[in-house]
Amino acid sequence: MAELSLKNVGKRFGSYEIIRNASLEVADGEFVVFVGPSGCGKSTLLRMIAGLEPITDGEISIGDTVVNNVEPADRGIAMVFQSYALYPHMTVEENLAFGLRMTGNPKADTERRVQRVADILQIKELMKRRPKQLSGGQRQRVAIGRAIVREPRVFLFDEPLSNLDAELRVQMRVEISRLHKELGTTMIYVTHDQTEAMTLANKIVVLRSGNIEQIGAPLDLYDNPANQFVAGFVGSPKMNFMSAEIVAADGENVTLTLVNQGNVQLTLPLKNPPPSIGDKVTLGVRPEHFAKAGEGIADLTIKVDVAEHLGNTSYIYANVAGGEQLIIEREESRNENIRDTLTIAIKSSHALLFDSDGNRLR
Amino acid sequence: MQLRNRAAYGFLAPYLLIFAAFWIWPIISSFMMSFQNTRINPWVFSPGANWGRLFTDPAFYNALKNTMIILVIQVPVMITLATVMAVLLNSPLLKARGLFRFAFFAPVVVGEVAYAAVFRLMFNLDFGIINKLLNSVGIASISWFSDASAAMALLIIAVTWRWAGYNTIIILAGLQSIPGDVYEAATLDRVSKLRQFIYITLPLLKPIILFCVVLSIIGSMQLFTEPMLITNRGGPGGGTETLGLFLYRQGFTSLNFGYASAIAYTMAALAILISLLNLWVGRDAK
Amino acid sequence: MKSQSRSTLIRSLSLHAVLIPLALVWLFPLWMMFVFATMPDYGIFSPQIELLPSTHFIENVSNLQADTDFIRALIISIGVAITYTVLSVLLTSMAGWALARYSFVGKSLVIAIILGTITLPYFVVVIPQFIMVAREFKMANTWIALIVPPLFNSLGVLFMRQAFSMMPVELFDAARVEGVKEWQIFLRIALPLARPTMAALAIILFLASWNNYLWPLLINSRPGMMTAPVALGTLIGLTKVSWGGIMAGAVLLTAPILVIFILLQRHFIAGIAAGAVK
Ligand SMILES: Nc1ncnc2c1ncn2[C@@H]1O[C@H](COP(=O)(O)OP(=O)(O)O)[C@@H](O)[C@H]1O
Ligand SMILES: [Mg+2]
Repeated sequence: MAELSLKNVGKRFGSYEIIRNASLEVADGEFVVFVGPSGCGKSTLLRMIAGLEPITDGEISIGDTVVNNVEPADRGIAMVFQSYALYPHMTVEENLAFGLRMTGNPKADTERRVQRVADILQIKELMKRRPKQLSGGQRQRVAIGRAIVREPRVFLFDEPLSNLDAELRVQMRVEISRLHKELGTTMIYVTHDQTEAMTLANKIVVLRSGNIEQIGAPLDLYDNPANQFVAGFVGSPKMNFMSAEIVAADGENVTLTLVNQGNVQLTLPLKNPPPSIGDKVTLGVRPEHFAKAGEGIADLTIKVDVAEHLGNTSYIYANVAGGEQLIIEREESRNENIRDTLTIAIKSSHALLFDSDGNRLR
Repeated sequence: MQLRNRAAYGFLAPYLLIFAAFWIWPIISSFMMSFQNTRINPWVFSPGANWGRLFTDPAFYNALKNTMIILVIQVPVMITLATVMAVLLNSPLLKARGLFRFAFFAPVVVGEVAYAAVFRLMFNLDFGIINKLLNSVGIASISWFSDASAAMALLIIAVTWRWAGYNTIIILAGLQSIPGDVYEAATLDRVSKLRQFIYITLPLLKPIILFCVVLSIIGSMQLFTEPMLITNRGGPGGGTETLGLFLYRQGFTSLNFGYASAIAYTMAALAILISLLNLWVGRDAK
Repeated sequence: MKSQSRSTLIRSLSLHAVLIPLALVWLFPLWMMFVFATMPDYGIFSPQIELLPSTHFIENVSNLQADTDFIRALIISIGVAITYTVLSVLLTSMAGWALARYSFVGKSLVIAIILGTITLPYFVVVIPQFIMVAREFKMANTWIALIVPPLFNSLGVLFMRQAFSMMPVELFDAARVEGVKEWQIFLRIALPLARPTMAALAIILFLASWNNYLWPLLINSRPGMMTAPVALGTLIGLTKVSWGGIMAGAVLLTAPILVIFILLQRHFIAGIAAGAVK
């Protein structure tokens, strides 16, 4: 039984379509992350699940009830907002208990739940303070606590870490992950940060301008992106994209020339449907998937623009002048310098190919 | 529409009921009354009875003329004064700021009846402090209440005293919303303070000053309590009768509601005209 | 450096040279109100220039009380102003909340009507209001007649709408997700957060009600049901009346509101300034 399911869900504001035909199954206890660039509709989709935005098409069910017309409070969800949305005029304790009090939950039970949350999140000494007297991280904790108090079937998080500094963000990320293991509750988490998505999720949903581009496990998306958008969005540093043109195709293999990289030619196995000669395509190779010269299907000679040596690994930024920057990750070497010339190889096993619309060819 | 949005009607209903009964309906009702002869029972539709009379009534033209004179003199004087007060109050060099603010803002809270009484006493011909002070510097007493021009001047002085501070508050708030770095930049460029005021402050304040002008025109247009109480029901002999007072006499002394409504709608037409003019000027500025 | 501090000094001196006389002129009528209120009538009418207070305030108050039941009028004024302020703040807050935070059929129409008619002169409505209350409902000279019709004032609606729409939506959504009812959200979250705006609005409404003259004059002119401004107004222009008494009344009318002004100056100024921001 899926704990949450979306069937062809859509949303428009007037004539402006913000979510198109979204379908998704979330199993009980799963940690699902919605990821995509700002403005792509992540928050809207999350708010639709919460019942804060009415949906214009399709069906949302939680458990086995369709909740299209169920009030947010009756959907068994709890939500953590990007701005925390703590009630500024109430203490931490009052913030945690407010919802339960207003809905007539028995007093003793409310107290028990608030205590439990204070234990889980270690915020006991903050209970009498107002939100203004808390640091960003503490506010975040209280916001999460307010969600836990509800003992929901599904947690919804809307970019909960984006207002924190980098260090705290990592710390809270770990904490949310721990919380998920501890509570075992289904969580849906929105972020524009692909690192957060990769580290937290069982399942990632990639969104672009209102469309679901791909759904899958983090490493599946990494290894097997459905299209150029997903390939470019997942992974850091980003996948390298090189413009290419098909020069030969025989049904088994295609040969292409890299037009911005000195017209280097290479041949890749590619069966159906073969592109025709002259087609513009894009070759995608991740920074860590370059090999030593001679060890791949084609060698590239590149000119180093910037070299970042981080100790365990180095990033080489090259060929910016050619209009098409390459990023190469190298673990074995610390010696490259600006204006050096290097030769590296592309391996066929990790080379992806996209057509001019960004669809994956191989 | 979402279920929860229905709650809005519950929040809105109580106010809307009162708003409809005591604002919207009266607006419609007085419009209809202005076309009815209300001096006979039952009232009958007769546009000429009020509107026809209005345009030939010398008392109406007198009230209109007085109101316009007050507007044309009082509003510019007051807004200029208020701007000066605001700019001076905003000076970082000012000491005892709170005291000055109190002096200029306090009249805003003083009731019309209370200040009318004080002004009547202060400007009394024989024993008023103003004439005594004038005499002490060798100026002859002014008969503030029996000379029509002096009575108008008195009204203008009184209204300006009462309302200048109100406009000062608004303009001062506008001044304080101008970011300081604009002036710092100008100072670095060696722009003199006076030029800063003319070329930076005034243009930025223009919308707010315009707003104050409109507010003051609409307010002064409805002047009633001051001519009623200070100059003794528009005296001398109608010399300070304003549209508001004229309407009051027609409506509530003669109980001619239809005629009073026609006067009210004349005021409304003027108010709408002023508001439209403001919109037009405001758009031009952008 | 030296010349700069000298020019600053000169500018400071000239600033005060303009402002001090102006402030004195502005304070003069208020000062004279207090002076007159403490003078016996023969002092007010003496040919000397009297600028300092005397000691006859209590005497003047009792003279005033002999001319009209001013104490009773004051009590009515206080009751009306407080009731009106509380009711108006409550009603306009609710309406402002509805218009700020919900979408419903007719919303833009309501807003358009409010904005479109707000600058209409009060005289347009006062006649039908009078006919309705005095003639149709026969409610002249009642508390309700004093309090209810002026509640139409839509300033508070715009004021509160502005305040509510500046609050983050997420705050209310958080409560909705928690199952808090809409009226509880309004009462427990929105209103407490709008307290500064409500304070500013309340002061302005209280002031308007306290000083209101025309409507109480029309509707409650029976002795014993007059508000303080109306009671005082009836004395102005009469011949056999104590001017010291009138001035004492003016002081009684002004002093409380002046104290409120001094205590709550910040809210007060915020209220007037915000009214201009629309
Ligand atoms: N109430 C609304 N009316 C119209 N457009 C909206 C509304 N709310 C959001 N949008 C639009 O919907 C798109 C998606 O918004 P959102 O879900 O907040 O994006 P994200 O959370 O992915 O950054 C944006 O282009 C935004 O401008
Ligand atoms: Mg968002």
